[in-house]
Amino acid sequence: MSILYDDMQIAIATEADRVLAARTDQERLLALLEEEGQIDEQFWQTVCEQGWAGIAIPEEYGGLGLGLVELGIVAEACGTHLSGAPFLTTGQGVAAALLACGSETLKQNWLPRLASGEVRGCVALAEGQAPVPSACSVTFANGQLTGTKPAVPGALGADLALVLANDNGSPVLLLAELGDVERHWFDSFDNTRATADIQFDGAPAEVLAVGDAARAAALAALAQQAVVAAHEQTGGAAAMMHRARDYALSRRAFGQPIGGFQSVKHRIAELYCLTELARANVIHAASRSGNADFVRAAAAARLSASEAYDTAARDCIQIHGGMGVTWESGLHLHMRRARSLAIETGNSLFWEDILSDLIVEGDR
Amino acid sequence: MSDIENFRRKARTWLESQASTFGQDARRGLSEEEDLKMGRAYQKAKYEAGFAGINWPQEFGGQGLGNLEKVAFDTEELVFGMPTQYFSISLGMPTPVLMKFGSDQAFIKERVRKALSGEEIWCQLFSEPAAGSDLAGLRLKATPDGDDWLLNGQKLWTSWAQYADYGVIVTRTDPTVPKHKGLTYFWVDMRAPGVTVRPIRLAGGGSHVNEVYFDDVRVADTQRMGAVGGGFSVALATLMIERHHASDSAGYGPALDMFVALAQSVEINERPAIEDGRMRATIARTYAMRSALDAITARGKLALQAGREPGPEGSLNKLVSCRSRQRLSELALDLCGNAGVAFDQHGAIRGDWAQSWINAPTSRIAGGADEMLLNTIAEKILGLPQDHRPDKGVPFNQIPN
Repeated sequence: MSILYDDMQIAIATEADRVLAARTDQERLLALLEEEGQIDEQFWQTVCEQGWAGIAIPEEYGGLGLGLVELGIVAEACGTHLSGAPFLTTGQGVAAALLACGSETLKQNWLPRLASGEVRGCVALAEGQAPVPSACSVTFANGQLTGTKPAVPGALGADLALVLANDNGSPVLLLAELGDVERHWFDSFDNTRATADIQFDGAPAEVLAVGDAARAAALAALAQQAVVAAHEQTGGAAAMMHRARDYALSRRAFGQPIGGFQSVKHRIAELYCLTELARANVIHAASRSGNADFVRAAAAARLSASEAYDTAARDCIQIHGGMGVTWESGLHLHMRRARSLAIETGNSLFWEDILSDLIVEGDR
Repeated sequence: MSDIENFRRKARTWLESQASTFGQDARRGLSEEEDLKMGRAYQKAKYEAGFAGINWPQEFGGQGLGNLEKVAFDTEELVFGMPTQYFSISLGMPTPVLMKFGSDQAFIKERVRKALSGEEIWCQLFSEPAAGSDLAGLRLKATPDGDDWLLNGQKLWTSWAQYADYGVIVTRTDPTVPKHKGLTYFWVDMRAPGVTVRPIRLAGGGSHVNEVYFDDVRVADTQRMGAVGGGFSVALATLMIERHHASDSAGYGPALDMFVALAQSVEINERPAIEDGRMRATIARTYAMRSALDAITARGKLALQAGREPGPEGSLNKLVSCRSRQRLSELALDLCGNAGVAFDQHGAIRGDWAQSWINAPTSRIAGGADEMLLNTIAEKILGLPQDHRPDKGVPFNQIPN
């Protein structure tokens, strides 16, 4: 897969950006910050209408049969416009795991509905501070799950979860329907992520992989999800860089646009560098899907993209001065999103460790 | 296999066959004089093997291939540590600009052939004591004298002037107009009477740059390149020629593998350094940064192959890679403990942390200082305002100094 976008891919990017720009309402997003885990339903409707949830799902399972590169292109536009729900990203984690190790029955049952957006997926691997724990407290016995997966992004609105659990001392990767499963919402600084604790109390689940293969499959699914998230982060970083640039051109002080001062213009130039490094890494990572070095590329993409978005949000607000810290400017929506995306899907500390292990010990 | 991959393999095979004669190990311990001699021999071998002037027209002795082939060869060549530095400026800018702007075709063809085969070296006389980043503020005077011009003044930071046979030079011919408009471009004979070259020793101990004095140096009007007063645009054209060069995400310093190997071999407070979170974060983040630069370079090549213009993001390579190399080199020396102060005078910048570290400031200043690169990104790519320039539109001789 080439890292140079072709005409069709550029058209996807332009169209996604156009549609989201027309349908994103900052007032609505601001209001949702104070709601109890409500997602922006209009955003998810757009995703479903446009067929974006199925971009990377093969045609035989009801998707568009494109790849991670194209899904990433759409995710980048979603990041630019502050996607109002996490399911494009979390759903890819579930779909990737199903495609990699699901039975034909499971695939037939779930993938078409994930592709249409009718079913929303979330990924529940983490416990405590570990994104992919080696020994989970959630147990799987007699076909049933017991225990709590804390702070799962998308848990509140999801119908289906990818779960890493403990089966008598051995890891097991499962697919669990969330219909009746209890979820406990808690207030967060980015409430449209619909983050909640999932409390399993004997919920049935289907096995995808067991033992070492379960952990490897969990990491591979997380890496898929991470590459989508990294595209969102890149879109967010570019949006912040451009807003900083636009403001620096229009805001005047001491007789000139503030963008004429090197302390401001160099800061924005540094944001450009960080954004382009992130963009290069996320495209590269998406193009490596299915190759031995995919996790390594995904880790690098996550590190660059988290750094770019956090820094761009931080500096963009700084460049806006007092206006930047007001509620109505909405810049804090990006600051919040930069952090929530950096925390979800394995934080930078996790990916630094994964990447340095792969560099020192070689790809596995 | 694509043509470009075929070419790359052919290049690599040839380079491997030359490595024992001209490579990093063969050069170890040589004096600069001996190394230059080896460099000339290597350049000649390259010329004879058809790897010199890869993207230059055949009528000038080049190979008539594209920028992709040129970058492919340069990228392969980088790792061998061949003695190419004496010719990088010569063949990078002055000679191509001579082909483009020179007037006497027979003379030019002769010069270009000799430059390509390593017999002659050209230098580029741009910077001055009062004109570095602000190139258009240069002062070296050219005054008409009959059909000739007389050059008086000083150039500074001129790479390899001490070995140069010829040079290209930007001069001030009219101080009564704004600074960009009063410049004129010539080629000069570096052996002409009145030219004095004095090497400058740099912090790392080497002396590849010089100050060059011009004292009533006579230049014929036929040596003029471009119009009188049109020197700045020729100078810009010179700088644009080298857009298609081999970039190095390691900032021309050691590979990340070398840092990993070091961290695997030492301890921090009696614990393995490779297990230290600070080292692991550095390794991971340096890798991420370099892989991104590599992807930008790869994407630029694909764009060229597809007949598209590469994106402007190619311009951040030097800025990002060189300052990262500086920090990584400092950390590597820290890792060595007290022994980190050891210094090998003959160490290679790519293979020796102390050499990489002490020469790093040069890489962040030469060929565009970090601050100028940030200005370029801000102004040319992002459309931010130019810096305040009190000398704008003011005749050169009325700018306060």
